[in-house]
Amino acid sequence: MNMKGGKGPRGRSSGSTRGGIRKRGATKRVDRDGDLAMDAGSAQGRGKKGRGDSSRSVATGPRAQTRDRALDAIQKAITSNADSQANIRQGGRGSSLEQVSIRGWKQSKAASNRDGGVESLIAFLEKKLNTSDSKAGSRAKITKSRVEGDAFIVSIRPELLERMLKMNGFSFAGAPLTIQLYDPSTNGMDQTMLSEMSQNGTPSAADTKSKMTTILRKRYYQQEKLLNLSKLGNDPDLLAMGIFNSTSTESKFFPALMKVWDMNFDNSTVRREAVESVSLADNQLANIAVITTLAQTFPDLKNLDLSNNNFKDSQSLIGWRWKFRNLEFLDLTGTPYSADPSFKDTMLKWYPKLRFLNNTEVRTAEEVASQKKTPIPVQAPHFQDESQIGENFIKAFFAGYDSNRTDLLNGVYDGNSTFSLNVNTAAPRVLQTETASWDPYIKKSRNLLKINHLPARMSRSYVGAEKIRDLWNTLPQTRHPDIGAHPEEWLIECFPIPGLPDPSGQSPTGVGGLLIMVHGKFEEINGPKVELRSFDRTFILGPGGGMGGIRVINDVLCLRAHGGHEAWKLEQPIVQPIQPGPPPVQPQTVPPAAPNGYGMPAPGKPDVQLQQEQLTMEISAKTGMTLQYSEMALSGNGWNMDAALKNFEELKAQGQLPPDAFLSGAV
Amino acid sequence: MAPPSEDALTKVSTDAATEFVQSFYPALQSNRETISSFYNQTICMILFNGNVVADGQAVQEIFVNQMPPAHYEIQSFDCQIINQAYPTPTATGLKAPNETTLKDKSILVLVSGYVQFGESRDVPQRGFSETFVLVPNPSADGPKGKCKREWLIESQTFRLVV
Repeated sequence: MNMKGGKGPRGRSSGSTRGGIRKRGATKRVDRDGDLAMDAGSAQGRGKKGRGDSSRSVATGPRAQTRDRALDAIQKAITSNADSQANIRQGGRGSSLEQVSIRGWKQSKAASNRDGGVESLIAFLEKKLNTSDSKAGSRAKITKSRVEGDAFIVSIRPELLERMLKMNGFSFAGAPLTIQLYDPSTNGMDQTMLSEMSQNGTPSAADTKSKMTTILRKRYYQQEKLLNLSKLGNDPDLLAMGIFNSTSTESKFFPALMKVWDMNFDNSTVRREAVESVSLADNQLANIAVITTLAQTFPDLKNLDLSNNNFKDSQSLIGWRWKFRNLEFLDLTGTPYSADPSFKDTMLKWYPKLRFLNNTEVRTAEEVASQKKTPIPVQAPHFQDESQIGENFIKAFFAGYDSNRTDLLNGVYDGNSTFSLNVNTAAPRVLQTETASWDPYIKKSRNLLKINHLPARMSRSYVGAEKIRDLWNTLPQTRHPDIGAHPEEWLIECFPIPGLPDPSGQSPTGVGGLLIMVHGKFEEINGPKVELRSFDRTFILGPGGGMGGIRVINDVLCLRAHGGHEAWKLEQPIVQPIQPGPPPVQPQTVPPAAPNGYGMPAPGKPDVQLQQEQLTMEISAKTGMTLQYSEMALSGNGWNMDAALKNFEELKAQGQLPPDAFLSGAV
Repeated sequence: MAPPSEDALTKVSTDAATEFVQSFYPALQSNRETISSFYNQTICMILFNGNVVADGQAVQEIFVNQMPPAHYEIQSFDCQIINQAYPTPTATGLKAPNETTLKDKSILVLVSGYVQFGESRDVPQRGFSETFVLVPNPSADGPKGKCKREWLIESQTFRLVV
């Protein structure tokens, strides 16, 4: 993918390449269909996978193997769904509540209320639930609710489901309501709908699914990470299925297609990475109502081609106003909306990372990057240790926390050590994917925003190694990245602090110790499932009777969705912080283009490595070569600076150094 | 004096942290000329993204003069007592453990949330993690002034993490 030179992400600058995409689809079709014909029909009746667990697999490793696996997974899903109606109804992820979607309320008189009528709708639904047949003791309640587009999604106890669905068609403030069981990925696809869609062939859901799989495979380009759904109306397979014979099947087709896509993956990371580009060009779309589920299936999409459709204004795309937060390329050429004077401004506002709109560059990479820039320049971690106590502790701590928590507790925690954890369930994250459930932690979480009662605040603070052990034994197994091998994934700051309690009683007015702040990520191992999470963990170490004469006084852990480590990567090149007047901020000197922590002491980094990094930075500064070439020059000359410099001058004079040996702008 | 009950310790520390978090971040947002009043005279360390800042006055100057408008959203925070008998300075020197009261504590506070720099709602939410050590305000006991804060920042480490 080449984003340079004002071309689109697929390197296209004119219509010709775009045609290319389609041409490719046509030329490869035989192959792809052939593939499918061979695979289809195999792998039946294995295992059971309910729809609720959205079985997914696919797309690593060699293509053929992937394809087999994809088909396999789909076949499994199809078979199990065809077998058992019950699976369909189980719905969302083993939750004990049922979700129901309600539509039509936006047309009611209540919709003009300040809250859009949501409150009166809840009141209305609860009242109806209670009056219809309230023999069942407890009062019916809408436990949770949210708005999704024009649907209002409510969660209710399973026993209320039937009653709720019976209210379909009830009139609310002058508008009839449509009430259906909600499905998170399709907004209401069910068995009936799949059957309905296969009007020409065998009216079975399985058959429809396998046809959809064929269509998806034909239109998916793994190498390019492209799903080409353009000109669906001309697709002979879809025409043969009779998808476009009625508006009802037409509207259900796309959500179903997305659902079938989802079913290919049981690993959300793989699913996330499988597609970067989607084309929905030439589909006569007047708005996104029918295709809105695209945003749920591909939340991290980078390139979206919607050209040659009938979108008239921003309103026809409004459902995607807050979606696709990583969109870089958007094509709406050939739509009436493109001619709107506010078109460009609106799209720039909607999509902060948008770089190309209708094949024209609208933001440079620098402009996108500068949005992320913080007014507080990002500097290397401040790590001010004392006799390597902090460094040794951190190394031992995370290794021990992963492998043997009891030993760790015996080693450095004592009767007064305090531990507590809190979960930030809403933290920003890098990718817009679902975060694994916080169930293993949430009952222990001491988020003081939410835990307001004193007894709960007390019981969620764990004092003494014994209590901490009991708690840690209930927490999932973890695997933190190796600090030495992946220093960039960690950010560790440390400095000495005074005023700590002295268990020996010799310094009644307090002793010194270390305050250590660690930010990073870990894998959580839950049986076969591995979840990625981020954490912030602050320790206070003081003198004590533990290993190395220290004890952990405090250990506070904050857990959050995976947020990556981009945030602490040094901005490149390092710019001087804006500083009028006396400089209260003292930036540390870091060479350009050095990765975070490079040339800086860090826990786990051997001295030799540190020296070599510092030499590398020195020669890089002198020669203008990249760190990589600088390191090559040094290592090739036995890490002798003078020899390396001499060698550099010779090679440079002979013109033997390629341009990419130099930092940009250095030559 | 009997040692304070666990109830009392929890109450005093969590109230202190709550009060602090709920007044400090709004001040960063819209009351920047009061920022220095949150800081202790003696500062152990103040770090913003690895930048060392000298004291509360310097933090205030940065926020008043250099920082664009910012919207802070606290999503989670927790606290722990560090020293139950913190040697609060008095006119006659540091308090000895037998002189300390329920208020002579140092408190560790860990905050997790996001910040949006700039006025627009469309700018990205940047996740941050911030650690504070709070100590008692030695002059908070006195009768003067209504704006006396009970707890002051002795050290602060701010990091953008997302």
